[in-house]
Amino acid sequence: MKKNLLIILLLLLIASSQLFAQNVIVNNNLTFGTVYPGIPKTISKATAGFAAEFYVSGTAGSEITIDLALPTYMNVGSSNMQVIFQETDCAIDTSATPDQTNPEFNNLDPWHTLTYRIGSNGLYLWLGGIIVPGLSQNEGSYASNIVITVTYTGN
Amino acid sequence: MCKLNKNVFLILALFVAMIALGTPTAVQAQDVAAGSATATVQTPLTVTASAALVFGTIFQGVASSVAETNANAGVFTITGQATSGISIYLQLPDYMSTATGDDRMVITFSTTDCGVDTSANVDPTAATGYLNQNPYNLPTGVVIGGAGQTGLFLGGSVNPSVDQTAGAYTADIILTVAYNGA
Repeated sequence: MKKNLLIILLLLLIASSQLFAQNVIVNNNLTFGTVYPGIPKTISKATAGFAAEFYVSGTAGSEITIDLALPTYMNVGSSNMQVIFQETDCAIDTSATPDQTNPEFNNLDPWHTLTYRIGSNGLYLWLGGIIVPGLSQNEGSYASNIVITVTYTGN
Repeated sequence: MCKLNKNVFLILALFVAMIALGTPTAVQAQDVAAGSATATVQTPLTVTASAALVFGTIFQGVASSVAETNANAGVFTITGQATSGISIYLQLPDYMSTATGDDRMVITFSTTDCGVDTSANVDPTAATGYLNQNPYNLPTGVVIGGAGQTGLFLGGSVNPSVDQTAGAYTADIILTVAYNGA
């Protein structure tokens, strides 16, 4: 009897923990591909395969905050290249049928905390950007990190 | 019976503790993922005036021409990312001037005075590719050659007047090159 009750208690504890478990993953990195010195290049948030795509899973209906730590430069060795994120470069879709080209919430500012509720199919976030290589930009493969932090608000 | 009550009490106490302590921690749960932005920058362009357009010695009243395939043609060397498309633009003078600026001489460029060679060749006498091109309207579709270099050759004509002041005349010829993303 005591053993059974302890097992039930343990299951309840596990269930309680899983109820609020969440996860954010990177489905696609922001990929500018080949660029030429002196020619800025824009990747739209609506361009699948090139725009960054993050996916948040968790309890449907739960409110979360999303914070993006965005770079201002990309680097290779000691060379830097400016990368710009405009105040409309982000989009989110929490619907059951997420659509990158026609997202539920469009033209969001990636520099500010975003607060949304996780949908039945999770939450998709897309991010575009612009890079501005200089006329004498050193050749090479440039990269920088984009860090996304997702936090439950408890609401 | 007493033992059972004790167990029930213990379970309830733990359950309340779990709700009180465990759940708030979970509600504030946070997750972090690190993506990246990536780009591959191609070789920067360089433009070098490898050889001046040289008319040499000329005489008052006698026009002189240099073909773009002549050894005295002007030569520009462009280097960059092999096979990448470029746009090229020549800014050509209307006159050449003496060093003191006290006289000037007409210089002209015909619609066939330019050649663009996308091989690694920088010898105008061996020019291939885009020959007899209009220097005021250079061809589109030009690329950096497979060896990472393209040559531009420029001829022209001078028309000294019958009372042209003797001396050395010069003028600037400016070539602007930019990647066009093609």
